[in-house]
Amino acid sequence: MGKYILKRLVYIVVVFLIVSLLMFSLYNLIPSDPARQELEPQRRNMKPDEYEAAYRRLRVQMGLDDPLIVRYLRWIGLWKDMDGTFNGVFQGNFGYSNLYKQNVIEVIKAPMSNTIFINIFSTILSLGITIPLGIYCAVHKGKRFDSATQVVTMLGYSIPIYIIALIFMFLFCIVWRIFPVMGTKTAGATYANSWEEFTDKLYHITLPVIVMTFGSLGGMTRYVRSAMIDALSMDYIRTARAKGLKEKVVIYSHAWRNALLPVITSILGWFLSIFSGSVIIENTFSLNGMGKLYWQGLNNLDFELVLAIQMFYSIVSLIGSLLIDISYGLVDPRVRVDK
Amino acid sequence: MSNTPKKGFFLTRWFKRTFLGHDQEVRDIMKEEQVQTPFRTMARAFFSKRTVRIGLTGFILIFLFVLIGPNYWVLDLSEQDSTLINLPPSSDFMAVPQEMNGNIVDIAAGRTYGIGVATDGKIHAWGYTRITDKVDIANIPKEVQEADIVQLAAGEDHAVALSSDGQIYVWGNTRLQQAKFSSDMTKAMKAAAKGEKSENWDIIQLEASNQFSAALSSDGTLYLWGNTNMADIKIRSQYQGNVAKVALTSNEYICLLKDGTVAYAGYKDKGSPFAAIPAGLEGKTVVDVAATSGSMAALTSDGEVYVWGSSTSGEKKVPAFSQKVTAIYGGRAHYDALLEDETVVSWGNNKYHQTDVPAGLSGIQKIYTGNFQNYAVDAGGQLHTWGLSGFLLGTDNLGRDLLTRIVNGGRVTMTVGAISVIIATLLGVVLGGLAGYFGGKADLLIMRIAEIVGGLPFIPFAMILSAVIGTRLDPTQRMYLIMVVLGVLSWVPTCRLVRAQILAQREMEYVTAAKAMGIREGQIVFKHILPNVISLLLVSMTLDFATCMLTESTLSYLGFGIPLPTPTWGNLLTGANNSVVIQQYWWQWVFPATIFGICTICINMIGDGLRDAVDPKSQER
Repeated sequence: MGKYILKRLVYIVVVFLIVSLLMFSLYNLIPSDPARQELEPQRRNMKPDEYEAAYRRLRVQMGLDDPLIVRYLRWIGLWKDMDGTFNGVFQGNFGYSNLYKQNVIEVIKAPMSNTIFINIFSTILSLGITIPLGIYCAVHKGKRFDSATQVVTMLGYSIPIYIIALIFMFLFCIVWRIFPVMGTKTAGATYANSWEEFTDKLYHITLPVIVMTFGSLGGMTRYVRSAMIDALSMDYIRTARAKGLKEKVVIYSHAWRNALLPVITSILGWFLSIFSGSVIIENTFSLNGMGKLYWQGLNNLDFELVLAIQMFYSIVSLIGSLLIDISYGLVDPRVRVDK
Repeated sequence: MSNTPKKGFFLTRWFKRTFLGHDQEVRDIMKEEQVQTPFRTMARAFFSKRTVRIGLTGFILIFLFVLIGPNYWVLDLSEQDSTLINLPPSSDFMAVPQEMNGNIVDIAAGRTYGIGVATDGKIHAWGYTRITDKVDIANIPKEVQEADIVQLAAGEDHAVALSSDGQIYVWGNTRLQQAKFSSDMTKAMKAAAKGEKSENWDIIQLEASNQFSAALSSDGTLYLWGNTNMADIKIRSQYQGNVAKVALTSNEYICLLKDGTVAYAGYKDKGSPFAAIPAGLEGKTVVDVAATSGSMAALTSDGEVYVWGSSTSGEKKVPAFSQKVTAIYGGRAHYDALLEDETVVSWGNNKYHQTDVPAGLSGIQKIYTGNFQNYAVDAGGQLHTWGLSGFLLGTDNLGRDLLTRIVNGGRVTMTVGAISVIIATLLGVVLGGLAGYFGGKADLLIMRIAEIVGGLPFIPFAMILSAVIGTRLDPTQRMYLIMVVLGVLSWVPTCRLVRAQILAQREMEYVTAAKAMGIREGQIVFKHILPNVISLLLVSMTLDFATCMLTESTLSYLGFGIPLPTPTWGNLLTGANNSVVIQQYWWQWVFPATIFGICTICINMIGDGLRDAVDPKSQER
């Protein structure tokens, strides 16, 4: 198992480097010139040839004329920077946000905690609903409840999540007035203690979490259900029943553990979709999260910020895939033996 | 299933059993077991499901709608009209109440509504009369209801009425000085209320336009009032007391003087295209003037019509008249001319059918024209209407017809979805085929790439691609870019599917046979194996089509897909996420969301049915 994890880790590092190189070169396609930007304020005080010389000097100083791969290695922190130190992503320097006039790492802190907060809630909720629901539907296949669930889940994955959000907003915020339309805190609120702050935040993110859960319900429930039906049609289930085992034991111990394998593989895709889905949710509900920040960064062409968030998304996906692989190994002994 | 054995009439059964023996019946049952080609089995399994039939019908209907629809609802990208913004679904802009018919005193056509006064003195309002949340033209003030109204005028957001005792009433939106009379007018009205007759307060004409109004007295005195910030509502002293008729554009006015000439009587005449009265009018006697929002027209005594102004929507293309013109009337962007034989000719902008005069209209005595509506009264007092009656699905925040945008947006969304699916499938099949058949290093390389691409969070990555590359592209190129981005990012599942299928098929006997016959490897992959995979490919294409449409719309919704003003089902919903739109302008998101939701649900139903039909094992699921 240890060797297997090590192998996966090495693989992840390689993929991360490739993805970040890709992103960095993409980022370099944008026509921008930091040196000119830097010199722009002094331009009026200089003669043209003087300005040109200063511009050339600055370009060399900033290392803008170096090949792409060198600039990339500098950015990632594997190559000596212009001042001779290593100062890149690996050293914790993600760049400077032009939009917020702050280091990216400072800008990201609050939104990141919000996003993770929301995603943890919706992940727990989704898994807590989809798995029992899928199992129940598989066991009661063809019954009325099952058919109804099939229809609802079909709606869930056919309708784009922002439309679901609009409908839920209409129902919960306007017709019933239960939840606020947008934001992460009551405007102008002062809190007596942190518990109050927490409940207020919870109150504001409830609707987004519900929408996210509803949106991710469809695919997962169907997946659990079909995996479970596959498992239930196996011969060992008949054997287990013939042995006179209790139905509960047959379902949860014999069938479910085997159905878990395909379910786990699908969780990765689903996990990623939750994170990219949060771009839409956070925008729709004006939540101060990573997705919203990403959207703002892209709209304002603040590419250092965007690049950092994109790195965050890549890392999330890579770690997600690592976790899936490890849990796959835990669930299925054959994987451990093979690799 | 249709091939269950028929029981038949009991007598025939008895006959068979008695004379032919039981054997015959048994054989009959065996005969029903027909041999079917796999394709027919699939098709039968496919069409026998109710969900599939519903999905297929729904999808075909929507598909035909967006395919054929754009020919009828032609999209004009530059279209916008400030007077038509945020209108709800309606079709009653010209629904004159029945009791008005035959006893009309006056009608005024406003923005999206009409007001009229009948001979019994009752004032009616119809159409979409709401101006804002609080202001509604249909809330006719009590004193107006009680007064004996003889003339009406309807502006953009206010209505004006004149009573027989010389009082002028204004209601509707009055926050921008629409009801601020000059001191002369208040004095005159006070005097008139006491029953004093005065020379310069005998109002013969009442007009209203964009936040300003005009009243003309029989002695030639013109009164103008309203929002002075927008409109040129002062009159030069040399014209005052000399005016015979007035016509209002949206911010200017034109006067017909008593000596039969036309004059721009305002102060903002420098360089204004409205002040440039055509040279052809010189020396001719003008008998009538009219104005649209951006042009002015004059009718000479010999029946010629001259049009000038800043408008570009076709009012200046005056048609050749078969008869002498006796009067002209102006709408928002069109003119009506009443001819000597009492028929009507109309020209100008025809987007809302304002100039589609009903066939066989004759005996017309009077026309009331305003904005996009026309009301004509014939000799029998019968009312005829034509023009804009409403928007079936409402309008958006720029006054564009939502139905047109939904139909055209559907075409864009479906095209983008289809092309990106084709790109994704081609990439997936080629790469998956190579990886599956050749294995080894090619397989390793391709599958690693697939893993990286498949591992990228889709929406953020598509956003950055669109933002980085899209900045230098024009809208059409950007549309192609979105297709390519979607295709390039979504080939992975197809590739995996094809690879897995080919790995399984490669071991089959027919491949060995093909190899033994010396057929080239490439031929074996694409000509022998692929046809066996095609049904599964079809399933994944169908489901991908829905996914690609969803992704495109999501990107457009976030503002990184197809840019406005090109409509797609996604960007129609941009900006819908605030409580004002959700609640008050519900039609702006309900209709696009509904048709899009139904469309993707139908496609997914078809896809699911197809998968069940192709893979019989899954039917048990």
